[in-house]
Amino acid sequence: MPLLTLLLLTPIIGAGWILVQRGKPQRQRYAALFFSGLTLLIALYILLQFNHDSSALQFFESVVWNARMGTSYAVGVDGISLPMVLLAALLVFVAILASTAIQERAQSYYALILFLESAMIGVFIAQDWALFYVFWELTLIPLFFLIDRWGGQRRSMAALNFVLYTMGGSVFILISLLVLFDAMPDHSFSMVAMAETARTLPPSTQLFLFLGFLVGFGVKMPIFPLHGWLPLAHVEAPAPISILLSGILLKMGAYGLIRAASILPNAIAELQPLLMGLALFGLIYGGLLAWRQSDLKAMVAYSSVSHMGVVLFGISTMNIAGLTGALFQMVAHGLVAGALFLLIGLLYQRTHTRNINDYRSLIDHAPRFTLFTTIALFSAIGIPGTAGFIAEFHAIVGGFERWGWITVLLSLGVMISASYAIRTISVLFTGPSSSRMAQVADLSRGESSAAALLALLILWLGFFPASALQMMDRSIEGVVPATSVLISISEVGSK
Amino acid sequence: MSAELYPLEQWIWLAPLFPLIAASWIAIGYIVGWNRNEAGERETSRVTIAASLLSLLSMLVIDLKALLSGVETQVVTAHWLTSGDFQINFSFTLDRLGLVMGTMVATITLFTQRFSINYLHREAGYQRFFMLLSLFNTAMLLIVLAGNPGLLFVGWELAGISSYLLIAYNYQRQVATKNATYALVTNRLGDAGLLTAIFFSTLWAGSIEWPDLHQAAGPMGGLHLGLIGTAFLLAAFVKSAQVPFSPWITRALEGPTPSSAIFYGSVMVHAGVYLVIRLQPLLEQSAPLSILLIVVGGATALYGYLSGLVQTDVKSALIFSTLTQVGLMFIACGAGWYDLATLYLLLHASWRSWQFLHAPSYMHQMHQPTRLVAPWIHPFNRLYAAAMQRFWLDPMSLWLLVRPTQRLSRDIHIFDTNVVRPIIGTTNEINVISSLEAWEKQSCEIQSSSTGVAPGSGFFGVILQWVANLFVWIEEHLILKGGGEGLIEVIKRAGITITQVEQQLSMPRYLLLMIMATFVVIL
Repeated sequence: MPLLTLLLLTPIIGAGWILVQRGKPQRQRYAALFFSGLTLLIALYILLQFNHDSSALQFFESVVWNARMGTSYAVGVDGISLPMVLLAALLVFVAILASTAIQERAQSYYALILFLESAMIGVFIAQDWALFYVFWELTLIPLFFLIDRWGGQRRSMAALNFVLYTMGGSVFILISLLVLFDAMPDHSFSMVAMAETARTLPPSTQLFLFLGFLVGFGVKMPIFPLHGWLPLAHVEAPAPISILLSGILLKMGAYGLIRAASILPNAIAELQPLLMGLALFGLIYGGLLAWRQSDLKAMVAYSSVSHMGVVLFGISTMNIAGLTGALFQMVAHGLVAGALFLLIGLLYQRTHTRNINDYRSLIDHAPRFTLFTTIALFSAIGIPGTAGFIAEFHAIVGGFERWGWITVLLSLGVMISASYAIRTISVLFTGPSSSRMAQVADLSRGESSAAALLALLILWLGFFPASALQMMDRSIEGVVPATSVLISISEVGSK
Repeated sequence: MSAELYPLEQWIWLAPLFPLIAASWIAIGYIVGWNRNEAGERETSRVTIAASLLSLLSMLVIDLKALLSGVETQVVTAHWLTSGDFQINFSFTLDRLGLVMGTMVATITLFTQRFSINYLHREAGYQRFFMLLSLFNTAMLLIVLAGNPGLLFVGWELAGISSYLLIAYNYQRQVATKNATYALVTNRLGDAGLLTAIFFSTLWAGSIEWPDLHQAAGPMGGLHLGLIGTAFLLAAFVKSAQVPFSPWITRALEGPTPSSAIFYGSVMVHAGVYLVIRLQPLLEQSAPLSILLIVVGGATALYGYLSGLVQTDVKSALIFSTLTQVGLMFIACGAGWYDLATLYLLLHASWRSWQFLHAPSYMHQMHQPTRLVAPWIHPFNRLYAAAMQRFWLDPMSLWLLVRPTQRLSRDIHIFDTNVVRPIIGTTNEINVISSLEAWEKQSCEIQSSSTGVAPGSGFFGVILQWVANLFVWIEEHLILKGGGEGLIEVIKRAGITITQVEQQLSMPRYLLLMIMATFVVIL
């Protein structure tokens, strides 16, 4: 059974189903929940069938698409893409659970979200660069409409800004891909074939190609000066879309960068210090800006910049511990940012303010909200027992292996994130009780279950990370040795 | 065959375990709530007595075996911790001294517990009292049975803690808590000595099992032996309240009478003597240590005797006479009469516990006024005053130890408030907003200040705030306005310009001009 194709098609079918139906928003929501839940189940089934001990691509399917262009519909998963697929399926399900506030034009809203899910999953499972690029661009269309139609006050600016930035970045990816395609003797876009060619290219060409990928993926991730779209888009997007933006869209950038790094070993060897510098600067920069935000959503948005700095730092080490940290941080941050945007969105629905100074002592009236927010914020700091700790720990170990004492700056970033996380907890939840907060209703059963799902996963990955690490291990080993072997050869050559 | 492999004495660990189980059972019961109030008294006392009885029985069974067929004197039950060559075992020493002491402890504790059932009836904290007595039973059995100073230290600390908690039994009274703290802190001095002794023993003797330690004492140099011995003796002197550590024991009488009896009258006060007797082979090697024993024991005997003469209440008089007797035991040890000291200890402990338990009803049984202060002391005014003041040991410790410590901590506190805190940026007042009014005031200040949500305090806080301001400026001016929004602005303007050009071009005159230009190019 072509499971991955089924995974891709289920949300599309769901979108189509919703579009032909008529009915109340509630009914559309149930339909969307059903189809995204089905997708999640298929993804879980794939996880069960997945062979953890193999670094090879699994569930591989390939159909020639355009023989003259050398493109094909090729999909497959390995230990790097499977966690991302699971994360995407889970967060879309959570986002739809959290979409109770969407009452206008619900039909198109849910159809667009399901369409977006399909495109995102496509990015993670594509094994052909042309197919990857198509899915990459396809995510923009639903997102543009979702932000532009259901967003906040400055939504059109945000949507336009987002699309312009990403399109601008995509151009660089496209150029790199075309140059690479041109250099190939048997003109094909297949990832495996392209990787083989890319490794044989002269170092200067590799460097040029990698810079193209870096700009393109760097916009999405985002890497420091290219993050201009992020605060606006995250703040203006409706809460469920913020969950997806921060939880999955950012990970697409990091995922692409890992793939690019694995096919261009010489270039990454050259650029490791640059990546490390950008990562550490972005980490502290995002952290300090998050510290300065009084808007809760903007704070989480900037903290995403900071946390994706940890991912980039892990990638810059190009060793097993560092890359494991990067990948784990992608999952952990997906869960944490998803949970935080979910909870803040729910809070905003109740009070219509996102200014942190308007809140205090919420624990009196919303204990469940307090519990889940605190778990998510603790994981953001990397408190042991949460997924964030496992990620940061691996990144720090990998960092010391590769970069030595400069890794201390990562700890500085963690400290800054602790300062704003603890500040948020103390302002939101503690202090003398206030009658104004009495009107804030605690999470309903459905909302609690969505938040609890994320919180439990955060804790589960924190206490029992072994199974997740095992899933990633083989594929990361597949990325690393090729690189390090080549680095050592180039070092010998230079001597 | 199986008896050979796993002889009876291997079960000795049950003796200290039974009371521990009882203590845990009572504690859990109290937390969960099944033995609270008067209704729970019966169950509490039954559990306690049963546990003590079982542990006494297990002692007796092993005693019997020792009498009939002899037992292995050093029993290793399990390894507690191993680090490199260093190892501490759960081991027990079952020689004559250990067995006799263990039996004595189990017996006296059992009787005291039985006595307490009536004595504490309907007292608040009945369950707590019995839990602590059980804990104490475990502690003392561990002390006298332990096969090495490491395990002995466990009992030593447990005894200290249960003593602390029993002195503060009436924790609502300030005097009680103060005295409990005083006793605990003084006892820590002895604990430090014991820890040092364990450390030196590990260093110079290798194994710290009693027999190994005794054997290693022979070839050991005088200095090493002296240091180990002094450290052990410090622990013994403090636990047995010898001069100059005596004042804590008079303050310790604050607890309920049965606990005073068992702790300070009979059992715990002898723990120091027991330690000295246990160290006999080690101490005999060194003359200075024996002299130290005689000097300290003599001083305590005199101190106890003279101070005891002028006491006017039963409990104080008893405790000072206890001190005198314990001092005499130390003298006996110093003189080399260890067997005499052991015998003396057993007799004194039994007698004194009876006397202490008897103390509350003493008044009723007296038919004549109490004896006056001995007439021979009358000419010696100064001695009398000194005895009345208990030889100023209390003020001396205050003056020598407590005051300097207080001054030092005050200076450190000043340094902390004036130097460290401003640099780190924490204040005393952090998070201590107690009223809604103060909160409102603070929130207003935060909102009105330009820094908004992130006021940095302290040296690093200010630096961070400064850097953050810079970053905010970069973000707003270069990245947001200059990046995406700027780009959109440029596109808009370019669009307007191009539209204008387009409009111009569509005018007939420009169209003609274009056509003509095309012709020129073609031609």
